[in-house]
Amino acid sequence: MYSRDQVLRIAAKDVEQITLLKDLEELEHLELDFWKGPTHPDFPTDVHVPFASLQAVKVFLESNNIQYSIMIEDLQSMVEEEKIQISRSRSTEQMRNTNSFDYASYHTLDEIYSWMDMLVSEQSNLVSKIHIGSTFENHPIYVLKFSTGGTKRPAIWIDTGIHSREWVTQASGIWMAKKLATDYGKDAIITSILNEMDIFIEIVTNPDGFYFTHTQNRMWRKTRSTNSGSSCVGVDPNRNWDVGFGGAGASSNPCSETYRGSHANSESEVKSIVDFVKSHGNFKAFISIHSYSQMLLYPYGYTKTPVADQQELHNLAKKATDALSTLYGTSYRYGNIIDTIYQSSGCTIDWTYNQGIKYSYTFELRDTGRYGFILPANQIIPTAQETWLAVKTIMEHTYNNPY
Amino acid sequence: MRWTLWIVLGLFPLIDGHPTLKTDQNSLETADAALNHQNGSLNSVLHLDDTEKAALETTRNDPAFPMKELNTSHYPATRAAKVAQHYLNYHHGSPFKWFMVHAVKKASSEDIPEVGKKYHIQFSVQEQATKEIVGNCTAEILFRHTEVQSAPEVNCTCDDLLKIKTSDADHALYHHIKHQPEPMTGMDIPDSHGNIPKEMEPFWYLGGIGASFIMWQQSNESTLYNMAHVHSVKQLNSENDLLAFEYVVLLHDMVSQEIIHWHMQVAWNPTQGVKVTQCHLLPKGTLKQPSAEKHKI
Repeated sequence: MYSRDQVLRIAAKDVEQITLLKDLEELEHLELDFWKGPTHPDFPTDVHVPFASLQAVKVFLESNNIQYSIMIEDLQSMVEEEKIQISRSRSTEQMRNTNSFDYASYHTLDEIYSWMDMLVSEQSNLVSKIHIGSTFENHPIYVLKFSTGGTKRPAIWIDTGIHSREWVTQASGIWMAKKLATDYGKDAIITSILNEMDIFIEIVTNPDGFYFTHTQNRMWRKTRSTNSGSSCVGVDPNRNWDVGFGGAGASSNPCSETYRGSHANSESEVKSIVDFVKSHGNFKAFISIHSYSQMLLYPYGYTKTPVADQQELHNLAKKATDALSTLYGTSYRYGNIIDTIYQSSGCTIDWTYNQGIKYSYTFELRDTGRYGFILPANQIIPTAQETWLAVKTIMEHTYNNPY
Repeated sequence: MRWTLWIVLGLFPLIDGHPTLKTDQNSLETADAALNHQNGSLNSVLHLDDTEKAALETTRNDPAFPMKELNTSHYPATRAAKVAQHYLNYHHGSPFKWFMVHAVKKASSEDIPEVGKKYHIQFSVQEQATKEIVGNCTAEILFRHTEVQSAPEVNCTCDDLLKIKTSDADHALYHHIKHQPEPMTGMDIPDSHGNIPKEMEPFWYLGGIGASFIMWQQSNESTLYNMAHVHSVKQLNSENDLLAFEYVVLLHDMVSQEIIHWHMQVAWNPTQGVKVTQCHLLPKGTLKQPSAEKHKI
C-alpha cells in the first residue's frame, strides 16, 4: 500500500520557504500527508509523499533551494518491520500467563514451548510435561500429560502438527490443551473423564519441520532428516509407521512428499511415540490431527479390508461430525482412510489400531481448499472450538465404553 | 450396439476442440486459444456432431456398461466435483467471484471402454465473496485414459449461477486499475498467517480463477488440486482493453501432497472474463519459498 512511498524531512531556512511549503500543502492532487506541518524555520517539516508525487515534490524543493533529506526510503518495508516488532513485543508481553496468551494467532516453536511451561506451572496439580524423545536436529519432543492421579490409567492421546505446514493444528492443540485445563472441575464430561482417565497431548509433533516452516519454507510437510544418497531432505512421518510399510500408498523416493523413509520408525519423531505408547500399554483412544479437507477418518489407509470395529467407528464418526457442525455449520465428510481420501501405507492410526487402540481417528481440519494450509489466524479459535466438540464426543464414547 | 461404438471411437481422434497438454506438462501454448466456450452457457467440450452424440447416448444405457452409483463421501466423487469446480471458476469466475464445492449430493460413474470413465454428479457450490450457495449444479466429467495427461472434458450447468452479480465491482476494479499511474504488483498472498490486505483480495481471486484453468487441465482421477498460495503477481502492459497480469502460483495436489509452481499470464476485463494466455510449470526449487518471518527465531 505504501510501496516506494517516502517520508522527507524538510529544513526550511526562512519564512519565505515556509510559505512555499504551505503552498505545497494546498496542492491536493499530490496527496501529501504532513506528519509535521510547515510552521517555522526552526522546526523540520516531515511529509509522507506517495510514490507517484515524489518526482514533482523533489523538483519543487530543489528548484526553490529548499534543503531536505529522505527520512524513510520505503514506507512499506518500514511498516512491515514495525508490524513484526509489534507482534514480537506483544508476544513477549503475553508470556505472562496462559490467560493473556493470544490463542488467535500463530506462534513460533519457542513461544509454544514457553507457553507449555507456563501452563504446567499454573496448573501443576493437573498438567505435567514429559520429554519423550528428540528430533533429528535435536529439538526436544514434549507431551503434556493431564492426570488427576493413579498409575497408568486408561488414556487418550491427541497429537497435532505431525505435518508441519498444517499450522491450524498446532494452534488448535494449544487451544484444546488450555480448554482441557480450564474445564476440569467445570465441565461434567471432562471432569468425569479426567477423574478416571489420563489425556496426553503432543502439540508440536514435528518440531524440526515446524521450525523450518517459520524460517525457510511455509509449505514444508515432512521431518528434516537427511537421506543418504539423496540431496532431498525429510521423511513423511505419516508414512513411517510399521503397518503395511513398503506397500502402495507411500513413496520410496526421498524427494517425494510422501516418502516413507528407509525403514519403519526411522524417524525419531515417530519412534518416540511408538516407544511411549508401547511402554504405556493402556491407551484406549488415539486422535491424530491434520489439515486440510474437513474430514474425520478411521483405519485403514493401507488396505481396503475393513477394520473389525468398522460399524462402531463409523457411527461414532457420524456422531462426532454432527457435534462439530452444531457450532458454525462446518460440514465434514467421514469414513475409512482408503476410500475417503486415498490409499496410504505406514500411517499413524493404522498402526495404533493394530496395537489394539480401538478408537483411532485422524482429523483433517478446515478448510476445503480456499486457504488450505494457510488458514487465516482469525479461524484458529472457531476451528479449535468446533473440533473440540468432536474430540469430546470421541473421548466421551471411549470413557463410556471401556474395553 | 458394438459396431456403433467402434464408429464413434473411430471418430474420436478427429475431435480437437480444446487446448491440451499433449506432450508433457511443461507448457500450454496459446493456452486458451482453441477453447470454444460461449458466454452465459457452458457447452460440452466434446464438440460431437449429432450422430456422435447419439452413439454415445446409446452406450450410456447399454447394460454392458452400467452406471455405478458412487458414495458421495468417497474420493472418486470428490475429485470429479473438484474438476467441475475448476471448470466453473474458469468460465464464470472474476476478481469478485470464486466458487468452492459446497456438497456433493449424488454421483455415479460409467466406464467407457477404450476411452475412460465418465462421472455424473449433482452438487452445490458456494461463492466465496458473497457466501451464496448455488444449489443445483450438475456436471458430466470425462476422464480419458490416455498415456499422457489430457484435460478432463466437462459439461456443467448450474441453475441460478447468474444470480450472483459482480459486474459493478468488476467494472469499478477495472477502472481503478486502468487509472493507476503505476502497474500493480503483489507478493505472498496470503502471507504465512493467512492475511490478505483488502486491496489484494481481487488479485488473489483473479489468481485463483486463472489457476483454475491450469488445475482443470492438469486433473485426472488421481489428483485433487487447490491453489495453495499466490507467490507473486505483476501487472503487465497491455495494448488492448484487457488487463494483463503475470502470476506465479503454488498449487497443492492432495493426492501426491506435492506443491507445484506454475507461471501464468492472465488477461481480464469485466465483459470478456478471465483468460489464461500462457502458462508453464516451474521446476522445483526455482523459487525462494515463502517464509513466515523475515527475522530469525
